[in-house]
Amino acid sequence: MIIAGTVLPLDRANVDTDQIIPAHNLTGIEKTGLGKHLFTGMTGGAELLARHSEAAILVARENFGCGSSREHAAWSLADRGFRAVIAPSFARIFYENAYNNGIAPIVVDATEIDALLESIFASIDLEREVIARDDGGEVPFTLDPLRKQFLLSGGYMKFLASKIETVRAWESAKGSPRA
Amino acid sequence: MPQSLFEKVWNAHVVEALPGDNALVFVDRVVAHEITTPQGALEIEREYGDTLYDPGRIVAINDHVSPAKDMETAIQAKVLRDWAKRHKIALFDIGQNGICHVVTPERGYVEPGMTLACGDSHTCTLGAFGAFALGVGSTAQGGAMLAQTLVLQRPKVMRVIVNGRLQGGATAKDLALHVIATLGFKGGTGYVLEYAGSAIDALSMDERMTLCNMAIEAGATTGMCPPDETTFSYLRGRENQPTGEDFEAKVAFWRTLRADPDATYDREITLDVDALRPMVTWGTNPGEAIALGAQIPADAEASSLKYMGVEAGSDLRELELDQAFIGSCTNSRLSDLRAAAEVLRGRTVTIPTIVTPGSQAVKRAAEREGLHDIFQDAGCLWTHSSCGPCLGMSMGVLAPGGRCISSTNRNFPGRMGTGGRVHLASPAVVAASAVLGRIASPSELGVVDATATVTATEVRA
Repeated sequence: MIIAGTVLPLDRANVDTDQIIPAHNLTGIEKTGLGKHLFTGMTGGAELLARHSEAAILVARENFGCGSSREHAAWSLADRGFRAVIAPSFARIFYENAYNNGIAPIVVDATEIDALLESIFASIDLEREVIARDDGGEVPFTLDPLRKQFLLSGGYMKFLASKIETVRAWESAKGSPRA
Repeated sequence: MPQSLFEKVWNAHVVEALPGDNALVFVDRVVAHEITTPQGALEIEREYGDTLYDPGRIVAINDHVSPAKDMETAIQAKVLRDWAKRHKIALFDIGQNGICHVVTPERGYVEPGMTLACGDSHTCTLGAFGAFALGVGSTAQGGAMLAQTLVLQRPKVMRVIVNGRLQGGATAKDLALHVIATLGFKGGTGYVLEYAGSAIDALSMDERMTLCNMAIEAGATTGMCPPDETTFSYLRGRENQPTGEDFEAKVAFWRTLRADPDATYDREITLDVDALRPMVTWGTNPGEAIALGAQIPADAEASSLKYMGVEAGSDLRELELDQAFIGSCTNSRLSDLRAAAEVLRGRTVTIPTIVTPGSQAVKRAAEREGLHDIFQDAGCLWTHSSCGPCLGMSMGVLAPGGRCISSTNRNFPGRMGTGGRVHLASPAVVAASAVLGRIASPSELGVVDATATVTATEVRA
């Protein structure tokens, strides 16, 4: 699968979930329709989105998505058409949430970020695990081999549903004391 | 093979190894609140026949905006409530509820050796019991309700040895801020922080929960404290725990969970807290913290300084405040309220001050000893329990530029309201600051150690 699209350059580190989507926007019960709240907690966020309204790929500095467990951060990005976030590092919960919502969290060396922030367009080959920059360069990355399947087939819950019998068998064999 | 506390808990819960250093990990307990549960619960209802693996392992708590503030939050609460009733899930609702991380231990739903997940990053609070307790997204929480498991990458383990004794007004909150400032805001990412040392052994369960609550603020998966007599006596006789021999059999097992002497760790740091004094944050993440009275560092991040309206080299005690808040899953338990009351007794606050107990049980216990009178005599607002102003979602939202001293865990830009500025500190420092209208240490009011007289009576619902 290739993710190709324009880049939204977010030249900031520690972009937290309150900046991605503030808590007062978490009052729904569905995963959909949250794109309108994206970056409303970020100084200059609305202007940045307006300038890059068609972007599918977000490039940011280290520790992207830190803070809350709110999956609304991933849902709001997905709803605005983002399919990948490229950063030197991610907070754990956002990283997991991204995979579970069709957003590739792509970790690259910090030294690659400057050039990617300058890119207008990028193409990400999820199978080959390389980013093709618009200046012709290629940047390699590694996806989690299991979560890559969730990404390609949209199936965290489906995967777990397929494990229910395995879990029941494990539990009865273990005779685990009921908590 | 010697094992750490974390390894003992993890290894006992791995159902199967998965590609990429992932594992399918059994979850003993799922805690479900109204903000992050409906999405996964509705997906299970629509696509998986509304079947939960074991509703008896789930605890549902309306906590973030309870009572509801508007139609949307009323719908969230109703979805959680109806779903819990339909599945016969234990439900804590208006009148008996509170912050999920306060109610869960209070009601005996967490214990040593357990794995626990909740769609809330501060679930790490419950690692205080020697459980592996972590925050996850709504989809992962849904999976944990559907198949009682999480797909997790095995975290690394960092042993955090804390020697010495908290003194001179330093509290567990100050220790938490000290740990984050030492590791850095993302220094714990990929790790479980396994606490050890004499200072940890001396902490009450309330204090251990405050410490573990902020593990996520260093990026860590969770924090864990070794279970000991303090843990066992907290749980003994508590609801949802067995009694008599059955309980003692559990204690015998829990004693085996402490790290083996020769256990190895991916990283180890040692801190000494004898010289630790009250801390306060100056910036926009919890790692940007200094000792109260110290100057903001010369190499401070420019964007943080700008947002907070402060300058490198300046003293935070010069800043005027607009609001004070005592509450949240970090610091809303009875011992926190006692420490704040110790400072506020016979004094008057000079800025709007909100005190929000962590649960209705904490509220009632506080009222039985008259703390509500101390707060209200001082001019504070004494509220019902909830997450309150901490995340700017319901009451107590800051105006742009408004500055709040807060006993909470996050000072991110906009956390308590767009443009609002948050300084994190202990309940005693918040109380002293509320009296003086600027960031202040209790010692400025002649209160040397507000926690020294506070005994750790743990609230029972």
